[in-house]
Amino acid sequence: MTVKMEASAGKMPHNTLMAYGLIVAVVGTYLTYLNVLTGVAIFSFFGGIAAVAALWWGSDTIKHLCSYGLGTGVPSAGMIAFGSGAIAMIVGTKFGMASPIVTLILAAILGAVIGYTANNIINMNIPVMVMSLMELAVVGALTMLGFASMATGSFQFKDLIVGSMSLSVSSAGTAAGGAQQFLVTAIPQYGNSLIGGAALAVIFFLGALALQHPFNACLGPNESQDRTLMLALSCGFLSMIAVAVISFVFVGLLAGVVNLLISLIAWFYCYKTYIDLSKRDAYAWLDSKPIIEVGGDE
Amino acid sequence: MEEIVLGIGITALAGALATVAGAAEDTESDIGSQGDPNSQVQLAPQMGYIHRIFNKAVSGEPPAYGLWCAIGAGVAWAFLQLNYNPALAIILGSIVAVFIQGIYCTSGYLGRTASLAKFKQPVYIDILKSLTSVTMAHAFVAIFCTTAVCYLMSAALHHPFALPLLGLIWGIALGAAGSASGNPFYGKERQYQNQKFGAGVPISASGNIVRYAEAGQRSSLDNGWFTTKFAGPASGICFGLIVFLELWRTVLFEKSIAGWGAVIAGIVLILIFTFIDRWIEVWGRKTYGPYTEPEETSS
Repeated sequence: MTVKMEASAGKMPHNTLMAYGLIVAVVGTYLTYLNVLTGVAIFSFFGGIAAVAALWWGSDTIKHLCSYGLGTGVPSAGMIAFGSGAIAMIVGTKFGMASPIVTLILAAILGAVIGYTANNIINMNIPVMVMSLMELAVVGALTMLGFASMATGSFQFKDLIVGSMSLSVSSAGTAAGGAQQFLVTAIPQYGNSLIGGAALAVIFFLGALALQHPFNACLGPNESQDRTLMLALSCGFLSMIAVAVISFVFVGLLAGVVNLLISLIAWFYCYKTYIDLSKRDAYAWLDSKPIIEVGGDE
Repeated sequence: MEEIVLGIGITALAGALATVAGAAEDTESDIGSQGDPNSQVQLAPQMGYIHRIFNKAVSGEPPAYGLWCAIGAGVAWAFLQLNYNPALAIILGSIVAVFIQGIYCTSGYLGRTASLAKFKQPVYIDILKSLTSVTMAHAFVAIFCTTAVCYLMSAALHHPFALPLLGLIWGIALGAAGSASGNPFYGKERQYQNQKFGAGVPISASGNIVRYAEAGQRSSLDNGWFTTKFAGPASGICFGLIVFLELWRTVLFEKSIAGWGAVIAGIVLILIFTFIDRWIEVWGRKTYGPYTEPEETSS
């Protein structure tokens, strides 16, 4: 299990990549707070940028972890990242302004516990396991927090569970002069919120597949870091498109259109670059050509 | 009584939709070589067998279909919140999901194939052009039907879960049904038609998948042609039965013994199916004998 398999050496060191990803993810999530400061929702897209940065960093972490002979374990790595991250993210949002930082710390602790369990109790004995699972849990939590704040325009728990207010009118008796008085109370509706309507489940899976897909799709002897990371960006922005469509419910037409346009343009650029990089790395780029035999048994 | 009759009607409709979804899902995944047959398609160039098969590496089927159906149901849910017509909302959700599915397919093929440059496997770009749309069409049918089943459960049967969560759960179930019952037709039979029937997949034949067709070179459409006849209906029956029996037991027995009636009916169903499975396995072993013994194969 501990034999390290070949993976591309990588041009950018993993720690540099982690620093960039982490900083952009946290700062991006905080930038959605501009919504509260300015009173409009058009800054929600920063949450999506934050999530894409986290996914970009996470796909390189998966490459690190899975280069230890975990071929079919690549998709599972995406799932465990978001499984542990989901808990940290939902608890973390209870802390108001400190939510992104608390989410980060909680996810790191959770990841460390899971990593220790996998490595020392189940005895998987992979040297980078604890660190990788810590990173993956943080990636999962920050991605979900980023996409959630993009969809709703806020990273606070109360905005994630309350969709809208409905008014309840009850009679409060008859006032002097015979006029009826009514007591009007606002009742929060949970069913049409991000968590109550389970739209968070969609975000969970959008993130989990976008996290594991880049390395899962590009693994092989000729894997190269820039191509894998470009696919990570492409998958991240693709997930952002879906979140942008869902965000129309929560942030309204204008902010929704801003979300959608930014994600569409960014995705198109990254996807096009990814195709060019694939063309660069491919053995040959053929259109309607027969099989080139290189010598099997036939 | 009227409620139960309506419930049974919904159950039958959901079962029918699920059957169509299962058949479409398996055909889609077989044309794209997703799931367990993928490993052989991936291995073939490394053993010197260059091929023209679509290598659509998007994790396993259950997570992949979990995502497609969750997107379908999630976007449909969003449009329902905006007071769209349910049929239109489900169609729009399926369109967004299929768009993402198609992009994942192309990036999976390009990524895997470009990373095999060392083994001289070229990227056949016409595979993407001709097959991506076929898989997207089948995926649309599968996602639309599954999202419709979820909508029926949520709106007509008043399931307590929200629509996106139902989409996620039934998407995973759909992928698992197709992966378990349909894929062997492709991965254990169609890929190895050049091996002796019933020989299993010996290690020495690993990667030596069939690459030439009756005329010309085998494309993944040929695999779809084969699996539509055999694997698709098998997956369809599997997923249709899962959805039908699950709803049937809930509709009929939910009211009895404070909800435990449905639980007991579920356990009884599991026991019946365990018995049937065991009986088929024993019958199969008795009829077709033990797996070939060493002295028999050497003669």
